[in-house]
Amino acid sequence: MVEFIKIQKCSEKEFELIKITDDIRAAVNGSKIKNGMIFVVVAHTTAGIMVNESLPCLEKDIETSLEELVPLHKNYAHSHFLPSYGAIGGNAPGHLKSMLAGNHCAIPLIDGKPMLGMAQDVYLAEFDGVQMRTVMIEILGE
Amino acid sequence: MIIDVHVHPAFYNPICPDAERITKRKTVMGYDLMSPFPLDIVRKQMRFAGIDKLVLLPEDTTTLDGEAVLSNEEIATLVRMEPERFIGFASVDPHRDDALDILEHAFSVQHLRGLKLHPSKQQFYPNDPKMFPIYELCARHNVPITFHCGLSWQPDTYLKYAHPYLFEDIAIRYPQLRINLAHLGFPWVVETAAIILKYPNVYADTACCYMDCPEQFFEQLFLRQMGPLWVEHNLADKILFGSNNPRFRPARIKRGLESLPFSEETMGKILGGNAVKFLGLEA
Repeated sequence: MVEFIKIQKCSEKEFELIKITDDIRAAVNGSKIKNGMIFVVVAHTTAGIMVNESLPCLEKDIETSLEELVPLHKNYAHSHFLPSYGAIGGNAPGHLKSMLAGNHCAIPLIDGKPMLGMAQDVYLAEFDGVQMRTVMIEILGE
Repeated sequence: MIIDVHVHPAFYNPICPDAERITKRKTVMGYDLMSPFPLDIVRKQMRFAGIDKLVLLPEDTTTLDGEAVLSNEEIATLVRMEPERFIGFASVDPHRDDALDILEHAFSVQHLRGLKLHPSKQQFYPNDPKMFPIYELCARHNVPITFHCGLSWQPDTYLKYAHPYLFEDIAIRYPQLRINLAHLGFPWVVETAAIILKYPNVYADTACCYMDCPEQFFEQLFLRQMGPLWVEHNLADKILFGSNNPRFRPARIKRGLESLPFSEETMGKILGGNAVKFLGLEA
C-alpha cells in the first residue's frame, strides 16, 4: 500500500530550519499503513531535508558551517539574467546548500511508529526564503 | 522608514483571478517561471527585509495588448487591502484617447498617488509635446511620475525611447513635477547622474541588477561608473531604493545597497528619506 501526503510551510527568513517531525507523526497517525518506510521529500531546489538534533546551538552551527562552505558573496555563474525566469539568478548559495543537505530522508515505520532515534528530528531546511515550501510524505508498506 | 519605490505586484494572489490573465501578464511583462503567492508572503518578505512600505506599479499597454495587464483598479484593490503597507501608482497608455480621464479617475477616485510610465514599452518619446497634458495633470494633482529609463527586460521594448536626456525637457518645463528615472537609467548611469545632479525635481531609483549579484552590480555602478564620492557628496538626496520585484527580491537589493560604503545618513536617505520627499509623504 502507498499513501501520499503533501504539507506546506512558509519560511520567514532566508535561512531557516523548520522542524517537521510532528507533521510526519501526524501523517503516520492518520495512515492505515503500520509497517514499512516513510519517505520525506522536498519539492524544491533551494531547500532540503535534514535529520539532526533539535538544539539551538546545533542549528546555529549548521547555519554557520553551511555559510562558510557556500558564502553569500562569490563569483557564482548563476548570478546572471535568466530569460527562462525573467529574473537574475540571485540564489546560487541556496542551490548549493540544498545539494549539501539533500532533498529527502527515509524513516522506518514499525507498528505505526516512525523509528526516529531519541535525538533525531526532521527539518525542512530553507536556504532561499521567504517562500512557501512543499514537502511530500510518502508512506509505503502494509 | 524604509520604502521600496519600485514593485510590480504581478503575482499577488488577490489580483491573479485566473490562469489566462496570469499567462497574459507573464507574456507582456516578460516573466516566466513565476506563480501567484499570497499577501502573507509579501508581509513576511517585508518583515524579513525590514521594509515598511512598497510602491506598487501597474502597466497599461492597451493599444498594443488590448488591455492593461496590471490595471489601476487591481493596484487600488491591493492598497485597500493593505493601506499601511502599500502605496499605489497609476498607469495609462498615453496613446489612449481617454488617457486624461483615466488618470483623473485614478487620482481623484481610486486615490492612487503617482504615475508610472514606460516609454520603451508604451512606445512614446517622453519629451513629445503630446505628453504634456499628462504631465500637467500630474503637476496639478501634485503626484510624482516614475519613468522607466534605460534597458528593459520586457519584450518589445526600445532603448531609443528611454535615454535619460529625453527627460530633461520635462524637468525644465515642469520644475514642480517630481520625476523618478527608474533603474538608474542603466546603461546610461553617468548620464542619469548628470540629470539628477542638475535638476532638483529629478530622482533615480536603484531597481536594477542587470548582471552579477546586487553587491557586485552596485559596486560597479556607484563606485566605478560613478566616482566613489559622487553619491555621498552630490547625489545623496536623489537616489531612491527600488527593487524591481518580482525580478529581484527586495531583501537582496537592499542588502546590495547596504554593502556600499555610504554614511549612515546617506543610506537612510536612499532607503526611505528621499522616497518620503518624492512621494510627497512629508507631514
